[in-house]
Amino acid sequence: MKEIVERVWDVIVIGTGVGGGTAGRALAEAGASVLSLQKGRQGFRTERQGLDPVMADPVARAVRGFWPDPVHATINGRQQTFFAPLGCGTGGSSVFYAATLERPAPHDLDAGSTHPGGGWPVGYEAMRPWFDAAEAMYRVHGEPDPLSDIPCPRLGTPAEPSAGDTAILDRLRANGLHPYRLHTAIANTPGCLDCLGVKCPRVCKMDGRSAGLEPALATGRAALLDECEVVALRGEPHRITHVDALHRGEPIVLRARRFVLAAGALSSPRLLLASRSEAWPRGCANEHDQVGRHLMFHANELFAIWPRDAGHGSQPSKAVGLRDLYTLEGRPMGMVQAMGVNVSYGLIAHFLRQRLADSSLKALSALAPVAATLASLALGQAKLFVGLLEDLPYAENRVVFDARHPGRIVFEYTIHPELLERRALFRKAIRRAFRGLRPVFVDWRPELNYGHACGTLRAGTDPATSVVNADGRAHGLDNLYVVDASYFPTSTGVNPSLTIAANALRVAHLMKAET
Amino acid sequence: MNDPSTGLVIVTGAGTGLGRAMAIELVARGRRVAGFGRRPEALAETARLAGAGFEACTVDVADADAVNAAIDRLLLDGPPLSVLINNAAVYPRRDFLDDTPQGFMHTVAINLGGTVHCTHAALRHMVKSGRGRILNVSTFADLAPLPASSAYAVSKGAGRIFTRALRADIADRFPDIVVNDWMPGMLATDMGIAEGLRPETAAKWGVALALSNDPSLSGTLWERDTELLPPQSLKARLKNRLLMRSQKPRRLGDMGFS
Repeated sequence: MKEIVERVWDVIVIGTGVGGGTAGRALAEAGASVLSLQKGRQGFRTERQGLDPVMADPVARAVRGFWPDPVHATINGRQQTFFAPLGCGTGGSSVFYAATLERPAPHDLDAGSTHPGGGWPVGYEAMRPWFDAAEAMYRVHGEPDPLSDIPCPRLGTPAEPSAGDTAILDRLRANGLHPYRLHTAIANTPGCLDCLGVKCPRVCKMDGRSAGLEPALATGRAALLDECEVVALRGEPHRITHVDALHRGEPIVLRARRFVLAAGALSSPRLLLASRSEAWPRGCANEHDQVGRHLMFHANELFAIWPRDAGHGSQPSKAVGLRDLYTLEGRPMGMVQAMGVNVSYGLIAHFLRQRLADSSLKALSALAPVAATLASLALGQAKLFVGLLEDLPYAENRVVFDARHPGRIVFEYTIHPELLERRALFRKAIRRAFRGLRPVFVDWRPELNYGHACGTLRAGTDPATSVVNADGRAHGLDNLYVVDASYFPTSTGVNPSLTIAANALRVAHLMKAET
Repeated sequence: MNDPSTGLVIVTGAGTGLGRAMAIELVARGRRVAGFGRRPEALAETARLAGAGFEACTVDVADADAVNAAIDRLLLDGPPLSVLINNAAVYPRRDFLDDTPQGFMHTVAINLGGTVHCTHAALRHMVKSGRGRILNVSTFADLAPLPASSAYAVSKGAGRIFTRALRADIADRFPDIVVNDWMPGMLATDMGIAEGLRPETAAKWGVALALSNDPSLSGTLWERDTELLPPQSLKARLKNRLLMRSQKPRRLGDMGFS
C-alpha cells in the first residue's frame, strides 16, 4: 500500500472493465508501470453469481461486485430509482455479461456516411486491425456475418450448434434471412460452464478481468487497488497531476504521468464533473459543457419465439443473430440476437410486476404471480430474443453530478419521437422476419438497456461539441485519455464490448507511440 | 482442484455417539477423516475403532481460535478440505431456573458457536476452489421445546436459521459449496433415548448425504434418509399444480448414493 501511494506511476487506469482492463493490459505489456483502480472489491475468483436486480442491500451488492446503489434517473421527466445492470468489482460489468462481442458496421463509424450521428472521428478501416486484435485477445468464436464481406481472420470456429439452434437457423434462412452464430468471447475450454450472465470461475469467458486485468497483473508491472473510489482528478489547466480517492473510506492521493478514464459511461463523466477546481471551474475537460451529454442506451425489443421443430430441448438459444434488419428505410436499427436465457417463471413475474407497477394498473401488481404462472405455462418452451435498437445522441440526454451525493449515478433522458418511429418500424420488421416462429413481444414501452450506456464523453474533432479527440485524449489536456464507452459518438447497432476493447487497444497503442 | 470424492472430511463431536459412528463409516468408505472432540481418550477410542485414516484432533469447537488453528494445521500439508460435518452438540438437560446465564450461553457456544466457528474456518478454505460440502446435524428440538431443554432447543433452532442465513450469503456466489441440514432422528446414544435408532444405522445415511455434493441438495432438510419438503402455501401448491410440477421428497436410496 505504501509503495502504491508513494510511487509516481506511468499510468493510472480508473476502472477495470473491458475498457480499463484492456488498455491497462496493453500498456503494461508494452512496459509501462500501471496502477488500476476499482471502486468495488476483488472478491473470490471462484464466484459464480449473476447480477441480481432485486437484492437491495448495498453491502450484499458490493460483496458480489454489483454496483451497490440504485441509479437515479429522470426519464421523460419522471424520476425513477432502480438498480441498473452495473458491476463495480474486477472486470466491472463485463464479468456479468453474456460475452457477445460483435463488430459494428462500417457505416456506423465512417464519416460522411448516411448515419444521422455523422460517423466517428476514426473510420472503420482505421479501427479494423484493432477489431482483429480484440477478437484474438478475447478469444471470440462465431460465424462470419453472411451479409458482410469483411474478413474476420481472428474469429474462432464456434462449437456445434444445439439441435434447437439449428432448427431456428434453418427456419430463419427459409424466411430469406441471413442468420449466423453470434460472436462470443467464450474460449470453450474443456468443461466450460457456459457463464452467460454470470461470473466465470475459470479463464474461459473472456472479460475485463480474464482478458484485461489478470494478464496485466501477470506482467509484474501492474498493480490493482480495489475498494478504491476515485473522488476527483486534480491538476493544472492542461495536465492531470493526481487523483483524490477513498481507499476503504480513507482519503488517499495517487500520482501518475498519464491517466486513463474507464469508469463506464455513467460514471466517467460524473468524475470529471466532480473535479471542479480553480484550474477547471466547470469540471475537468468541460470547458464547453459537453461532459456527460449525448448519453445513449440501446432500446431492447424483447420477444419470445416458439420454434415448432426446435426439439424439446430445454436449452436456451444462445448463439443466433442476424443483421438483416440493421438498417430499414435508410434508418439505423440494429442487430437481432438470442438472449441466451430461457423464459423462466421468475423472469416473467419480475417483468409483469415491473410493468404493472409502472402502469395505472398498480393495484393489480399483486396478481403478477398468477399472471406469471399462466404466462409461464404458455411460454415454457419459448426462446427469448432481443432486437438492439440503436439510440441516437442528443445533447440534453446526459449524466449529471449531484454534489450532495457525489458517488451517485444520476442521469436525465428523454425518449425522442424519432426513436418511437424507428421502434415501430423495427418491431414490424421483426414480426415479419420471424414469421413461422410465432414471435410475441414481451415489452410494450421502449425498454432502455442501461447496461449499454455510452456517448457521455464523446469523441470528435471540434472541442465545442465533443470531449475527447479521435485518439481518445481529452481536448485541452495533455495526459487524460478515455477508453470506455463514453468515447462512442454513436451507439451503433451492436453490443458495445468489442468496440470498447478495440478502441482501448488503439488508444493504448497511440499512448505508447507518444512516449 | 478440490475433489470432493478424495479430500479430507472433518467430523465434529467424533468422540462419541453419532459422530464416532460417522467417522467409522467414513473411514470404512476409504475417506481420510479428522475427528474433533474435547476428550483425547474418547477420540483415541474412535481412532482404534475406525482404524488408519482417522486423525484425532483435540479441540473445543466452542473456541473459535482453536478451531481455526486446528483446521489450518490439518490443511497445511494434507489433502484439501472437502466435507465438514457439524455434529458436535451438548444437551445438558437443565431446567432454566437451575441453569445459570453463563451455563446457558456455554451450551449456545458449543451447539451454535461450534457450527459457526467450524463453518467459518472451513469456508475460508473451500472458497479457494469454490467447492465443498457442509452437513449440519440438526433436530426438531426448537419446534416444541421439551422441559429442561431451553439452551439446547434455542441453540439447535438457531443452527437451522444459521444454515438458511449462510445460504443467503453464499449460495449464489458458490453454488458448488453445498450446505444443508440433516436430522438423524431419535438415537440410542447418551444424548438420545434408549429405544432409539442405532447410531451405526443413522451414520450410514448421514455419511451418504455428506458425501453427495449435488448442488440441488443445498438448503434442503433431511430426516433420516428422506428429504423433508418445506411447507407450501396454497398459492405455491396451485402454481405447481398448474405447471404440473409435482414435488416429491427424495430418498437416499433413490438418488444413487447410499
